[in-house]
Amino acid sequence: MVRTVYSPEYCLQYLEQYASQEIFVTGLILGQITDARENVIHIARTPEEKGGEAISNDGSFASEKQDPVKNLLGVSEAWVADHAKHVTRMLPGGMFVLGIFITSDEDVFEDPNYFSKVKTILNYTYKVLNTNHLMFANCPHSNERLILHMSTNTKVLTCKSIEVGPSKNVAIKPVEWKFLSKPQQWQRLDCYYEFDEVYPVIVKKSGISVKQQFQQILESSHKTIESSVMFLDGELKDPSEQLEQLIKKKKTKNSSKTAQEVPKSMHVSLFVPFENALPETVEYLECDGSIHFSGIVASSVFMYPKASVGEAIAAVKQDIIRSLASRFTMHCDALIDDNLLPEEKVCFNEPPRRVLVPVGSLYLCDYLFPGEAPAEALLSVRELLDLQITEADVICDIETPADTSEFDALDRDTSSEELLATPQEASQFMYITGIAFAFLVLFVSIFIHYYDSISEFMRKLLTIS
Amino acid sequence: MSPRLKISKYVIERLSQIDTEESTGCLYGLMYDGILLVVGLSLELFEKEKNTYNQLLLNLPAEIELCGVIKFSDCLTIENKTKEILQDVDITDNPLVIIISQEKDIKAHFLVHDKFEETSYEVMEKDELWKQFLHVRLNTILPLTCEATIAGVKNILQNKRKKIASGQVSFHIDGTAVYLFGIASDVGVTGTSTEANIGELIDSMSAEQPSKKKKVNIHSLDIVPVNLVMKTTKDILSDKLVKTAVKMMTTQRKPAFCISMPLKVDTLAMIHRNTKLSELYTVLVEAACRSLRLLESVLLEQLGQEGIGDGAGLRLPETFHYLPEQLGHFLTRVVPKAIPDESMERERIQLHEQLALPTDKPMFRRGNAYTTYGGRLVNPHEALPLPSSGPNVTVALVRGRYTYHHYMQDNFNDDGWGCAYRSMQTIFSWFRYQGYNTTNIPTHREIQECLVNIGDKPTTFIGSRQWIGSTEVMFCLETLLGVQSRIIFANTGAELQSYTPELIHHFQKHGSPIMIGGGVLAHTIIGVEYNSEKNETRYLILDPHYTGADDITTVVGKGWCGWKTSDFWNKTAHYNLCLPQTRPCI
Repeated sequence: MVRTVYSPEYCLQYLEQYASQEIFVTGLILGQITDARENVIHIARTPEEKGGEAISNDGSFASEKQDPVKNLLGVSEAWVADHAKHVTRMLPGGMFVLGIFITSDEDVFEDPNYFSKVKTILNYTYKVLNTNHLMFANCPHSNERLILHMSTNTKVLTCKSIEVGPSKNVAIKPVEWKFLSKPQQWQRLDCYYEFDEVYPVIVKKSGISVKQQFQQILESSHKTIESSVMFLDGELKDPSEQLEQLIKKKKTKNSSKTAQEVPKSMHVSLFVPFENALPETVEYLECDGSIHFSGIVASSVFMYPKASVGEAIAAVKQDIIRSLASRFTMHCDALIDDNLLPEEKVCFNEPPRRVLVPVGSLYLCDYLFPGEAPAEALLSVRELLDLQITEADVICDIETPADTSEFDALDRDTSSEELLATPQEASQFMYITGIAFAFLVLFVSIFIHYYDSISEFMRKLLTIS
Repeated sequence: MSPRLKISKYVIERLSQIDTEESTGCLYGLMYDGILLVVGLSLELFEKEKNTYNQLLLNLPAEIELCGVIKFSDCLTIENKTKEILQDVDITDNPLVIIISQEKDIKAHFLVHDKFEETSYEVMEKDELWKQFLHVRLNTILPLTCEATIAGVKNILQNKRKKIASGQVSFHIDGTAVYLFGIASDVGVTGTSTEANIGELIDSMSAEQPSKKKKVNIHSLDIVPVNLVMKTTKDILSDKLVKTAVKMMTTQRKPAFCISMPLKVDTLAMIHRNTKLSELYTVLVEAACRSLRLLESVLLEQLGQEGIGDGAGLRLPETFHYLPEQLGHFLTRVVPKAIPDESMERERIQLHEQLALPTDKPMFRRGNAYTTYGGRLVNPHEALPLPSSGPNVTVALVRGRYTYHHYMQDNFNDDGWGCAYRSMQTIFSWFRYQGYNTTNIPTHREIQECLVNIGDKPTTFIGSRQWIGSTEVMFCLETLLGVQSRIIFANTGAELQSYTPELIHHFQKHGSPIMIGGGVLAHTIIGVEYNSEKNETRYLILDPHYTGADDITTVVGKGWCGWKTSDFWNKTAHYNLCLPQTRPCI
């Protein structure tokens, strides 16, 4: 059976728009593979390579804008891989970069030079995405990548697939690409995964960096989440059952409701069993303090309704880990001082938070650093997804930024703080300082409000004396 | 209204045997169907102004609570100290007061509005108790990391208890799809009907027909295994949802020491079979909290000790459950790993005294713990009808637990030569399960190696199929366990009967199985019966020559374990008996 891929209709117009301008364009195909069906959710042009960066590397001064790449052979595979890496951060669990599209006048499948370039791009991207396995950037159960080509001359669309990665299989397989006239329905699954972990800081001779610490947290979280049991709407489900069936069963229970309803989101809860593989000894360690890792990861995953419960579970687990990994990478890339234990007694690391951005009938995500406005998300959507959205479209209340006053309060008086203190203690302290501060503000505002009358009164006093 | 009262037969038996100078004791019981069932008792030692019963409660399965006091006097007067105990009774509004007179007369009263009302009671027979009640056993491992100080340990364990009591945990019954949820979830039970009870669940889990009334065997009680999972997601619909994104806060402090360990929670609850699964959640939370308190006390005790005060020498706490024959309920102890039983004698003496148990044999050493015995038959003789007793009949039996070792076990073919080895293994099992030691039961090869090491046999003996006799059994017991034995020689099978008084004395004083070798056969004697009127002796024999499967019906039905008359012995053969001796200890 020929592999079949279903795509939203607007993708056709998207391709035609570039093809009719007779320009060469390459981009990424994003979507979801389930046993029931393969769905493309979006295709996005890879942004034009910024001349500046490439040139500054070899030291020349020609910083003027370069001519756009005219054909496939001029495309840098590193650039495409970088695009794929950034786009993966924006994908919820269960969604992957499935391949690339090309609009050009040459037939990329016929010309051996072009085809070998396509292979290089796909293989290089595969390699780059594999470097951080906790990003789940490469689809774990398929190494067959799509190549979608639209000829700028004939506007004929061809789709094929090749295998990437360690396999030596060189076969080119045909793929049937179908456009859906109606927008695809998605089953949404939501959860808020909560972290509240206290770790000792164990400093090795080489010192410890924020990056290493985040990596440790990421790895231990991955293990925990992988071992967890997942419930959908409070019930344990058979992994082979279809999501759609669960909804239908519910509908028949309260049959008064009409079938026209938009499928509601399913609530996911995760339960973690405790690890049994720990060594049966008491470890006694010298430590330099403690780390409190806390807060939530908001997860919204979109599944093809005929996907199985098992596939949905895998997607949710991937989503939480991918989101953690994305934030940690972005945070560390932006760090100036990577030392976990700087001069200050208390050190606060606040990675960017997740926001949702609409793409078609579902949501992808983006990350905002503390202090960044939702408008920043528009930039990444335009740059990486080649989409225009408005600021109002960005959903930024799924997660809230950390309350830094908590950190300020702790910084002021660390001596009162017990090692490995509970967060409750910290917030109590915050509460008291909060009240004190409120009073100060009150006094100052009273003073300002009555400044005139007070000064007049003072003047009177002075004149009398 | 005061509840109906039932008292376990175990409690009645122990009460009637207590000989104490203490004036007061405590009663422990549980409530079901409007009935108060008394299952245990302790003597109140009033030590160090501390109420010892509060500590003891942590050692009892969850659901068993303080329910009243015992007064060893002829009249009903209550002093202040007793009043204090009665005020601690939470399980019922009407605490129970039992008066035991000099004549061991037992009278029960409920305290109703400060007045005593005498009440009648029903005795619950032992079989009935184990039939109606079962245990759930919660096992989980909590990773624990905290500062190596008393405050650090207290703080973290309090947090763990809070977390468990917060409704965020869920309990999963092993091998089923049944999960029990707390208040943090909308549903209470999933995987079964909400009306289901625990008895039905356990019947459906076991392959046997529930209709077939099986005989209750105290060595294999119904224990439902449960594990714990922690909810890590927040309820989306909750108004209290705080959505702060993940962040990391590092607090420096130098120098500091911390300890990190897998804290093994292993805890029991005793519940009636009719308990609904939906009611089980709070029971399990209580069981987990009891266990954490017990674990905490062992950690704190160690941290308070000199030498390991800084936590460097801290040992992992290990949990053991005990069900001594006369107790009638489980008792859980937590001890630091690898600390020898011998050096914890003081605590055990106190426990024996508190529970009014005999102080001449171990009951709470590691070896005494309740186990599954690796699939072997435990005390098969208990399936036999008791020998008829009379004024002229004296019966003396093996005491405590042993496992039945016989030919062909462990996939090892010793048919025709291994009977004495197997008899020795049964004796070893007895010493192990009586808690005298924790030595593993030796294999044939280990027995042979032992005999070579002490110079009794040449090296070619190892791996051979040579027979051994009573003296070899004696040597091995001495070398491997430090157990002394008495050897009796009987010139003929007929002469054996003249040693009947010695055998009766042995079982009454020591209670260990006896190995007997004669002619080409070795057997294990686990009891004697002497009829003085007829001058007849019968022997309870455990035969190691059995080659079949460990099936109690066959073993008992075909006489592999059974009573034999003197004709059993070969009239003309010599017989040697090895009688392993015990020393009084705790």
